[in-house]
Amino acid sequence: MLAELGHFSLVLALLMAILLAIYPMWGAQRGQVLLMQTAKPLTVGLFLFTLFAYLCLTQSFLNNDFSIAYVAHNSNSLLPWYYQITAVWGGHEGSFLLWVLIFAAWAVAVAMFSGGIPQDILARVLAIMGMVGIGFYLYILLASNPFERLLPFFPVDGRDLNPLLQDFGMIIHPPLLYMGYVGFSVVFAFAIAALVAGRLDSTWARWSRPWTLAAWVFLTLGIALGSWWAYKELGWGGWWFWDPVENASFMPWLVGTALLHSLAVTEKRKAFKSWTVLLAIAAFSLSLLGTFLVRSGVLVSVHSFASDPTRGLFILGLLVLVIGASLLLYALRAPQLRSVGRYELLSRETMLIGNNILLCSATLVVLMGTLLPLVHKELGLGSISIGAPFFDQMFVYLIVPFVLLMVMGPLSRWKHQTLPALRNQMLAGVGLSVVAVALLSFGRDGLSYMATLGMALSVWIAIATVQEIRQRLSASKQGLAGLTSLTPSHWGMVMGHLGFAAMIMGIAMVTSYSVERDVRMTPGDSIELQGYEFRFLGVEILKGPNYSGHVAKLDVYENGRKISHLEAQKRFYTVQRNMMTEAAVDPGFTRDLYVALGEQLNNGDWALRVYVKPYIRWIWGGAALMAIGGLLSMSDKRYRMSKLAKVRVKSEAMAGEAA
Amino acid sequence: MKRIGLFLLPLGLFLLITVFLLQGLFSNPRDIESSLLNQPVPTFRLPDVMDASIEYGPEVFDGEVTLLNVWGTWCVTCAIELPFLTELRQQGVRIVGLYYEQNMDPDFGGKTLPEIRLDIDKTLSQLGNPYVFNIFDEQRDTSMDFGVTGAPETFLIDRQGKVRLHHVGDLNERVWQTKFLPLYQELSQ
Repeated sequence: MLAELGHFSLVLALLMAILLAIYPMWGAQRGQVLLMQTAKPLTVGLFLFTLFAYLCLTQSFLNNDFSIAYVAHNSNSLLPWYYQITAVWGGHEGSFLLWVLIFAAWAVAVAMFSGGIPQDILARVLAIMGMVGIGFYLYILLASNPFERLLPFFPVDGRDLNPLLQDFGMIIHPPLLYMGYVGFSVVFAFAIAALVAGRLDSTWARWSRPWTLAAWVFLTLGIALGSWWAYKELGWGGWWFWDPVENASFMPWLVGTALLHSLAVTEKRKAFKSWTVLLAIAAFSLSLLGTFLVRSGVLVSVHSFASDPTRGLFILGLLVLVIGASLLLYALRAPQLRSVGRYELLSRETMLIGNNILLCSATLVVLMGTLLPLVHKELGLGSISIGAPFFDQMFVYLIVPFVLLMVMGPLSRWKHQTLPALRNQMLAGVGLSVVAVALLSFGRDGLSYMATLGMALSVWIAIATVQEIRQRLSASKQGLAGLTSLTPSHWGMVMGHLGFAAMIMGIAMVTSYSVERDVRMTPGDSIELQGYEFRFLGVEILKGPNYSGHVAKLDVYENGRKISHLEAQKRFYTVQRNMMTEAAVDPGFTRDLYVALGEQLNNGDWALRVYVKPYIRWIWGGAALMAIGGLLSMSDKRYRMSKLAKVRVKSEAMAGEAA
Repeated sequence: MKRIGLFLLPLGLFLLITVFLLQGLFSNPRDIESSLLNQPVPTFRLPDVMDASIEYGPEVFDGEVTLLNVWGTWCVTCAIELPFLTELRQQGVRIVGLYYEQNMDPDFGGKTLPEIRLDIDKTLSQLGNPYVFNIFDEQRDTSMDFGVTGAPETFLIDRQGKVRLHHVGDLNERVWQTKFLPLYQELSQ
């Protein structure tokens, strides 16, 4: 019964999406206020019906209703209740339901928090979200129904949730990632609405920017969490694998980052308009492409999901419609956009163009690396595989000019920057960072070029950030009191850049200075690694609710003092017959100690993998800092809707005068 | 008009990608084409798994159409295809085994050579022995040269010692009839 109600509710949500796509847009084109006003209630309806459907499915999981195919495939009566709730997005159908729920939530957020935006623009934005929605609701109802029944013969118990997904990181990783992916649909809708209306000005950028920031923050956190999860769950001690699915989430992030910077220029300097719009379309398009790549089985990846050509075909059709139509609209309308801001070669604008070019090159590198194996094979040239070495090398080439621009950009003025002032600041920055790196790597043997370069770049960014704040303070002539006069969005930039610096530091250190040992140990054995002594106490039997296994216990000593106790598990999930590694990690600010349990050997010894990973937390810490930076920027007063309302009155008054 | 052309570029790029994605949908990504196709087999010098004093090289493929079957006793699917391979041998097909052991790591111990031989004997006497002989790829580097991604995999090698077909997965009646037999008959003439 619950499943049928949920299914019906989804049909109603589709109906809402169809109405939403038609009436408000009609109203906006014809100037009929009444029709435009339907946008809000329709959006709320869309959200409520979707939410109801989602809750129905969740309740079916909690009821252990194995007559529903999706529940039977992804749950088990022994599964703890919290995993039963998260199992809703553990498979294909449910994760699409989560996708549309989040989509509807974003749409409602736009409807609720956009008081300051003119009614016709809001109506168009919501109508475009409705159009995108139609496609996805149709997809769920026609090709991927989560409420399908297994009647009359249904299993007594379910097949259990994939054990990889039975982890805290996995509980929140997909929703965050989807919040990011789908969040770009808002920016996309704003861009398309502006193209349809033919009005694209700095107020448009001001409306879009907080939504871009929100989506970007979610995406940043989602990717970082995924990386952290892979690190502790897959048991290889890696944090990024250049897997096609990871790449699929990384591309929208890169373009989203470019979009943030480009929006800043459009907002403040009225330049780069057509470029910004293209980035807004690209960010959402790449999110959709990511969904397609993950869900269609076109690419082989460790994230193997059900692959079914009908579904893939449906999503590809959607992709062609949504992206193709918007790019066509772009080609027709964008040439009319005029960028009025003028600037010279040495100016902040130029640096930001450079930043955008590099971010887009990085996106292209990832896109090519991801799709080239496919293209190569389809052209009949045989199978090839592109792995981490290719990406690593390309990113090393890209990062150096990127950091250079990242240092120069904030230090430069808009429009025109004098060379000597910038040169002096940069020379000072380089000098200081060389000294700092020399101090930091003093006494370390076996220096690596890459790590040293990474450290230098990281420190340089940090120094430049401080220089920039100093420059602001001396301009405001208030001394340290001037710190309070800096806007939250300025602090956002500072945090974002510092976060990036921390991340480079982490990546450089981990890549070059990680130590790893495969060892065989009997209880009582100990090994030494980087000054840490790992004492193996033994292995005990483990019994969980839906798994059994072994747990290895180790004590870690440094200079004869016990600093940590580690318990590395190897679990066997009985229903899915899967082995899972739960690595034991002792986290630290400057190093992680990491132990993964391997197999038992014939003579009763155990195989263990022991790692010391310097500065690895900095990678995720950096991502967290960037996300905080994004939140700070969002909190800036100029994006508050009451402010926007004032801006709107002003611009309308100006338009009136002009008329 | 020139400007419009520039703005159409993203659309063109996207449509191009779409074509490949569409093609990709209908081909199996795990269906990997061997880069060795129509190339001579890589050179190797490896012992017989049962008797280390006998050594084999690429010349074992000369003069006769041969199936090279990559397998191991640890591999469940291999056990399933053994009876069918034995049937093929009875029909006169020459099958050479390329044996590699997963559970053999000099640092970690694992199985010793006598244990492996015992396991092979046991498996082959239970399920049938399709092999003329088994080449032992202890370091697994020859499998690597052949582009083996796992077990079981089967290569069809012609009289000149060239790889003509590479099949990933188990060899069963259906695969034999559709994929191997036509080429096998052509090569045997």
